[in-house]
Amino acid sequence: MANNNEQTTSTNRILLKLFMTQIGAISNVIEERGKTIFAKQNILTTEEITDYSLELLELLVNILHADENIDRRGPEYQALRRFFTEFSHQIQVRGGSLEEFVRYTQFLQRVFIEGLESDENLSFKETRDVLLLVATIFNDITMDVFRVYLEEKEHTIQVQQEEIRETSTPITEIWDGVLTLPIIGTLDSARTVAVMEKLLSRIESDRARVVLMDVTGVMAIDSQVSHYLIQMLRAIGLMGAKAILTGIRPEIARALTSLNINLGDVVTRSTLAEGLKETFQYLGITAGAATK
Amino acid sequence: MIPGLHLTPIGNNSVLLEPGEGLDPSAPDNYLAELMAFLQEHHADTLIYDLKTVPLIDQVYYNWLIRLYRLCLLANIEMIAVNFCSTAAFALSLSLTESPPFKCALDVESARHGIVVLA
Repeated sequence: MANNNEQTTSTNRILLKLFMTQIGAISNVIEERGKTIFAKQNILTTEEITDYSLELLELLVNILHADENIDRRGPEYQALRRFFTEFSHQIQVRGGSLEEFVRYTQFLQRVFIEGLESDENLSFKETRDVLLLVATIFNDITMDVFRVYLEEKEHTIQVQQEEIRETSTPITEIWDGVLTLPIIGTLDSARTVAVMEKLLSRIESDRARVVLMDVTGVMAIDSQVSHYLIQMLRAIGLMGAKAILTGIRPEIARALTSLNINLGDVVTRSTLAEGLKETFQYLGITAGAATK
Repeated sequence: MIPGLHLTPIGNNSVLLEPGEGLDPSAPDNYLAELMAFLQEHHADTLIYDLKTVPLIDQVYYNWLIRLYRLCLLANIEMIAVNFCSTAAFALSLSLTESPPFKCALDVESARHGIVVLA
């Protein structure tokens, strides 16, 4: 174990020596590369690239200075990983691609490895140890970059799903006290709850007397979905509004009969237009052609 | 005067019931006989139950409403629940396995004008 520690110390020192003797050259190379990749596409300014390059080298030196061994759980190592996490996040937010960023980190790794060639006194074993150390650090960094990328993607998908959910159930007041709710796609528990909350609040605030629920856009129905539909219709009724279900396509009707779902108490009409006629009749509104 | 229940004859043989904070829905027997007497005394044919101040209807409260409905049925009185809070309607619809037997209306005015629905 002691021997192992000695070897690691030696590896740290070799890397540290490499940095200290070539820090100017390394700094210039990585800064230039950063400008080529990020500044040309206006993802980062040249000042930002200079700052990032200097901060990166400082963090690496801190790690090598910190201890005999590189402690991957130590604060210096975590600071480096945090640096790359924030750096890659910023690149993504500004429209940079993951591929470019990974290539940049690979380039950084290559710069450090190439620096080894300048020291002819290094033995094969020392070179191998330094290579392993550099590879370990950059593997962790690459994994962090991918994690950030995936998190960002997941966040984007979540936001898009929210938007789709919002736009797929637009509640519109089409007449005084008449709301329409076209349901498109599939109803699941989460969506039913969201739609019901929104719809009941609208009935309350708009003092709606009729709600037309159009299911023309519902592609498939099973016992769970029909259960959700009945819950929605019941909630509308509790609010004192009349619910009219429209647009039950033949396939949906067939599915409902096979599921033994009784919609006997529910007012149904074949199309939204028929539902509207029923609404007008219920409200005592007479619609006729305009006369000149 | 029934503690916990505020009763107001509002014309056309309708009585408005507004539950107060003192109402204990878990003990319907404490109220039903007196309530029946009041309704008969005022020749009521409609009982409008105002749920404006009830944010949540749990099983106990729902059972109280059902007992009240049955009482009205015996006395040939129509019971209409009005002003359901959206939160109460939402929670109740999730727990119900069958439609409530009483009628519902948007508000007291709708109930008075017979604009009622069965949930």
